[in-house]
Amino acid sequence: MTDNIIECRSLTHYYGKRLIYENLSFGVPRGRILGLLGKNGTGKTTTINILSGYLKPRSGACYIFGENIQEMDPRTRQNIGLLIEGHIQYTFMSIAQIEKFYAPFYPRWNRAAYYELMDKLHVAPGQRISRMSCGQRSQVALGLILAQNPDLLVLDDFSLGLDPGYRRLFIEYLREYAKAENKTVFLTSHIIQDMERLIDDCIMLDYGRILLQKPVGELLDTVRQYTFTMTAEGPLPEDERIYHPSAIRNSGEFFSFLPEEEVRRILDAQKVPYAGLESRRVGLEDAFIGLTGKY
Amino acid sequence: MFRARTYNSGYGPTKRYMEKAIFYKEWIKTRWYFLLSTLLLAAFTGYCLLNVSRIIEFKGAVHLWEVMLERDAVFVDLLTYLPLLAGLLMAVFQFVPEMQQSRLKLTLHLPYPHYRMVASMLLYGTLALCVTYLVSLALIGICFDALVARELFARVVLTALPWYAAGLAAYFLTAWVCLEPTWKRRILNMLVGAGVLRIFFLAPAPEAYNAFLPGLTLFTLLLSLLGMLSVYRFKTGEQD
Amino acid sequence: MIRTSKILLYFIATVLLAWTLPWAYGLLGGASPSAPFTLYSSVSGEFSWLEATDRGIEYQDAAGRRFTDKQFDSILPFFYYRQLISDNRFPDSIRGVAVTPKLAQAGNFMFRSSPRQVNANVPGIYPLLESMSGRVDLEASDDVFRIDRNGITFIDCETNTVKADKSAAFTEMMRKKGFVFPARVIAGNPTTRKEYDEGFFITDNEGKLFHLKQTKGRPFVRAVELPEGLEVAQIFVTEYRGRQYFAFLTDKAGQFYALTTGDYALHPVAIPPLDLTRQGVMIVGNPFDWTVKVSDTDGAEHFYAIDGETFGRLKELHYPAPEPTALEKAGKFVFPFRLSFTSGSDTEVVPRVTDISAWALILGLVLAAAFCVIRKTNPVRQAPQCLFILVCGLYAFIGLLLFSRK
Repeated sequence: MTDNIIECRSLTHYYGKRLIYENLSFGVPRGRILGLLGKNGTGKTTTINILSGYLKPRSGACYIFGENIQEMDPRTRQNIGLLIEGHIQYTFMSIAQIEKFYAPFYPRWNRAAYYELMDKLHVAPGQRISRMSCGQRSQVALGLILAQNPDLLVLDDFSLGLDPGYRRLFIEYLREYAKAENKTVFLTSHIIQDMERLIDDCIMLDYGRILLQKPVGELLDTVRQYTFTMTAEGPLPEDERIYHPSAIRNSGEFFSFLPEEEVRRILDAQKVPYAGLESRRVGLEDAFIGLTGKY
Repeated sequence: MFRARTYNSGYGPTKRYMEKAIFYKEWIKTRWYFLLSTLLLAAFTGYCLLNVSRIIEFKGAVHLWEVMLERDAVFVDLLTYLPLLAGLLMAVFQFVPEMQQSRLKLTLHLPYPHYRMVASMLLYGTLALCVTYLVSLALIGICFDALVARELFARVVLTALPWYAAGLAAYFLTAWVCLEPTWKRRILNMLVGAGVLRIFFLAPAPEAYNAFLPGLTLFTLLLSLLGMLSVYRFKTGEQD
Repeated sequence: MIRTSKILLYFIATVLLAWTLPWAYGLLGGASPSAPFTLYSSVSGEFSWLEATDRGIEYQDAAGRRFTDKQFDSILPFFYYRQLISDNRFPDSIRGVAVTPKLAQAGNFMFRSSPRQVNANVPGIYPLLESMSGRVDLEASDDVFRIDRNGITFIDCETNTVKADKSAAFTEMMRKKGFVFPARVIAGNPTTRKEYDEGFFITDNEGKLFHLKQTKGRPFVRAVELPEGLEVAQIFVTEYRGRQYFAFLTDKAGQFYALTTGDYALHPVAIPPLDLTRQGVMIVGNPFDWTVKVSDTDGAEHFYAIDGETFGRLKELHYPAPEPTALEKAGKFVFPFRLSFTSGSDTEVVPRVTDISAWALILGLVLAAAFCVIRKTNPVRQAPQCLFILVCGLYAFIGLLLFSRK
């Protein structure tokens, strides 16, 4: 068995009659930061909900630290940090109260880590979280997870509602922490640029299936954006290794992992009227859009 | 194989601290409401008792006894629905913040068994309400014990007890409604809750519940189980 | 625990439906007809009644005669004596006996007993009025008494303390007269809104009957002779204007008695045994005779004319219970039982299951099958649910459809 901290096997889920995904399997290895990428409705939140035990999949099972989530020993949760979409916390508490509340639940509680982060916020310990800005709240939520000091962090859309400064702060703090302490992180975000700075691996979800799971470096090294000029009315290439070919007037575009010679061979074989084929390295966001399509 | 297994050996004794922490959170949510509701219920109870003392002052103790015996007066009718309101609002103050933005996810993510967590929260509310109610009942008890024979004292207390039981029932039912994840079911739960609460207010005369009170109390305590059902539905991912 | 919670929820849903559905169904039907207002005529010796019909109020009697309203007044001269006096029509004699308006006024009485009143929950303390205060109006007592195994205790209302001397004096007097504490039945009318006070009639721990009064602050206690083996069940102190009776009583067998004043004699009244915890009784009495109306729970009404002297039965008339309506008959097939918490015949709130109907099992079977079809499961897998629907019929069916998982 590989040293996967998270292991999901053959997940299938429907909302009512609508299929979210079928037979989805993936694993998250120890010490890696893995980002789950997908357009709205592909099941990112569903996956997070299943992983945090708030949704029972129609079939299949998820294991964290080797335990089935549905029957997990409550103690195992001491070792899982959960950040809920929008940095939700008990806003009716002050930053001092919330620390006092959480501490008894976690044997490795690191009070100093929490207060170190809080000191940077310049807020009084008695200030209620509800009266803080969204950015400050994100720091509270992060501080609590850092104090909890779990081996696995599950973060649902950590960038929601944060301005760029706080986003950067959050990412840098988290990445440094995770790498220094060999933490495993599973996260989603709707801002893909953020992910690029943070994650080691990514899973791209398409409707109903996993499009790919790869280290980000490998992905960006191999995926290429191809642009070309259509010289006449003609067909666009059709090949499962060519992603989302499109043409606006006479400029064509698609993404592929294939080297240029291979691409040319396919275009020639399919009699695509093209000229000026160029390939380019792209960033994660462009790669994501290119591979999953704009719609 | 996993470190999670090894460092958790001291889980047993820490459970007490966890329970304290759970109570601490509930206390922060409800402390102002708790103080206010206890004071208000005590104030309303005091107002009823003030009326009793005014009757004695202006019409005499004989008149008081006479109307209690002949006309079934208990003088605390004003309180009838107040414990119910107190219980209902206690649940609202405790559980609405949990359901806003699905904070229950945070609560259930704590390394503490899910149903025990809900049970602890309900236990906190029950104890808090018991304090609120006992203050009111003690005022009634002390006053009527001093003023009238034990038969009439028992009559007042036994007539009022179902109202306080209804308060606890309202608390459990409201918790059930609040914790329910879907609106359709929530409305259905409200209807059932209203029907159940009606059972506590059918008395055509004083002491009407004497025979039913033990059973009704047991039934009231059982209603606390309904909250677990809502959490179960939350966990399986029922949503609108 | 989740299983228990679910079962609890189905149980609650079933309880609420079994309570509300039959009630709502009952609203569909109108009020059931009641027997007409009937009295025994001292003049004609027949039961006569008035009835509101489409043609207005009709007056007739058991012999088939019809009357005008004026004629009706005159065949019931004691009941309508005030109307007759004002019309100057009050007779000089009835059936050969000279009568006066004064006789009517003094000799008329009305007695009512309802199950609700008999079954009512009483506090168990009673004010004992002063029956010979020397004043015209009765005055409220400043104390109340309770009777327990130690004797009778008077509690002062003003101070809420025991009046030791008075308690000792009354306890001693009662013991002297043979009273064995505590009491079983205590009956009186402790109200000042009456013309005179006869205190209380009480049975002691051995079932013996006693009369207890307060006269000039002193106890008046008298043992009342009871026939051998008679066990008193209920006592109603009458205190009617005519002072003809101390009380009406029933025994454990349901026999109704009048206890006459002066001689403390117990007269059995010639009506069939009663259960006052279930049957309502109304007596309209006059110096000559009584009309006794007994109402059964099912709506049947029985009228007995009783001789005021001998307490013998003069005549009787029975109105049967109304036939169940089509709606009620259909209800037997729809509802396996009905649940109610209150009842017209007492003041208690307690769950009561009534109208159990085996006919509803048919519907239960159909609904159980329907449930399996709707939920697309086979009956074996859902055996507990199906059994539940079979027994609790419509209630369980609706409850399960609403609350069980699809």
